[in-house]
Amino acid sequence: MPPVSELTALVQASAKGDESAWNELVRRYAPLVVAVTRSHQLAPADAQDVSQTVWLRLVEHLDGLREPEALPGWIVTTTQRECCRYYRQAQKVLPVDPQGDGIVSHDGAAAPDSGLLRAELRQALRDGLAELPARDQQLLRLRAADPPASYEEISKLLGMPIGSIGPSIRRSLDRLRQTGAMKTYLAATQATDRVRRPA
Amino acid sequence: MNSPWTDDELLQELAAVLAEEQADEHVIQAAEAAFSWRTVDADLLSLVLDSDAEPAVGVRGRHSGPGGPRVLMFRGEQLAVEVEIDDAGIVGQLTPPQPGHVTLVGPNGPGLAAQADEVGCFTLPLPASGPVRLDCRLGDGHFVTPWITI
Repeated sequence: MPPVSELTALVQASAKGDESAWNELVRRYAPLVVAVTRSHQLAPADAQDVSQTVWLRLVEHLDGLREPEALPGWIVTTTQRECCRYYRQAQKVLPVDPQGDGIVSHDGAAAPDSGLLRAELRQALRDGLAELPARDQQLLRLRAADPPASYEEISKLLGMPIGSIGPSIRRSLDRLRQTGAMKTYLAATQATDRVRRPA
Repeated sequence: MNSPWTDDELLQELAAVLAEEQADEHVIQAAEAAFSWRTVDADLLSLVLDSDAEPAVGVRGRHSGPGGPRVLMFRGEQLAVEVEIDDAGIVGQLTPPQPGHVTLVGPNGPGLAAQADEVGCFTLPLPASGPVRLDCRLGDGHFVTPWITI
């Protein structure tokens, strides 16, 4: 998460009608909404509808957000609730096995929780990345790009000796682990013993 | 506190984050455009029941079964609106019962409208999928529902 005071300032400015503050909120948290809809395996068109509904709701909820730092939680809850609706609709047309004695199991049913945890981790990574000095961000973005930049390319782009790039990446990753966003995520998940390990 | 991830695992997850960032420019644009709805000069009703979503706190026993219509209830201090939505369209009633003008509003503005009769009943055709809200004008009162996804 961005520093608390900064998020509070953005929410309060948006509530007062500052459109650029709103656009900044959108830019920061649109990926979170998208990630939650993905964790519920919504079709892209449905995910867009849900996303738009969440933002329209938030516009009217800005004044009611007593604790602006609770915004990410509000976004996750609201998006999840809208996503659940699509499950209920899907259940109405669930296939029934005529030889069996019930509804054919729905593969997606168990996915949302682990998917949601992944969404939280990714938001923490996004926020953590934003906390890092520009140099660390550039290095990690180049190395995590698809396809990853080679040490040779990174050396040219950032003007670093090739031999220093490996150690620099390790240091940047360590700094990422030490960001407020990642520490908050780890503390919250380790408390419930549900850390999401990348596959 | 030790990190549970190796460098490679962290980089792999970062790669997924970066891939997501590039997604969906039109989702961002739609979200930014939502801000134009900030100042609507109407009383906002609360959603107290949506049979297709999680049950609202304090309201029980009104869930339609599978295949039944979606039931929604909105409530404010002066007005309640109950609607049933199925493939045939929207049937609704205003409480207390009264005539009025009910408009379906989408993110781009007002759409189809209907007249509520003397007992507050109105019907509307089913709109295209996406966010909608109901805008109700009754005498000198102006009310809107929260946005719902159809």
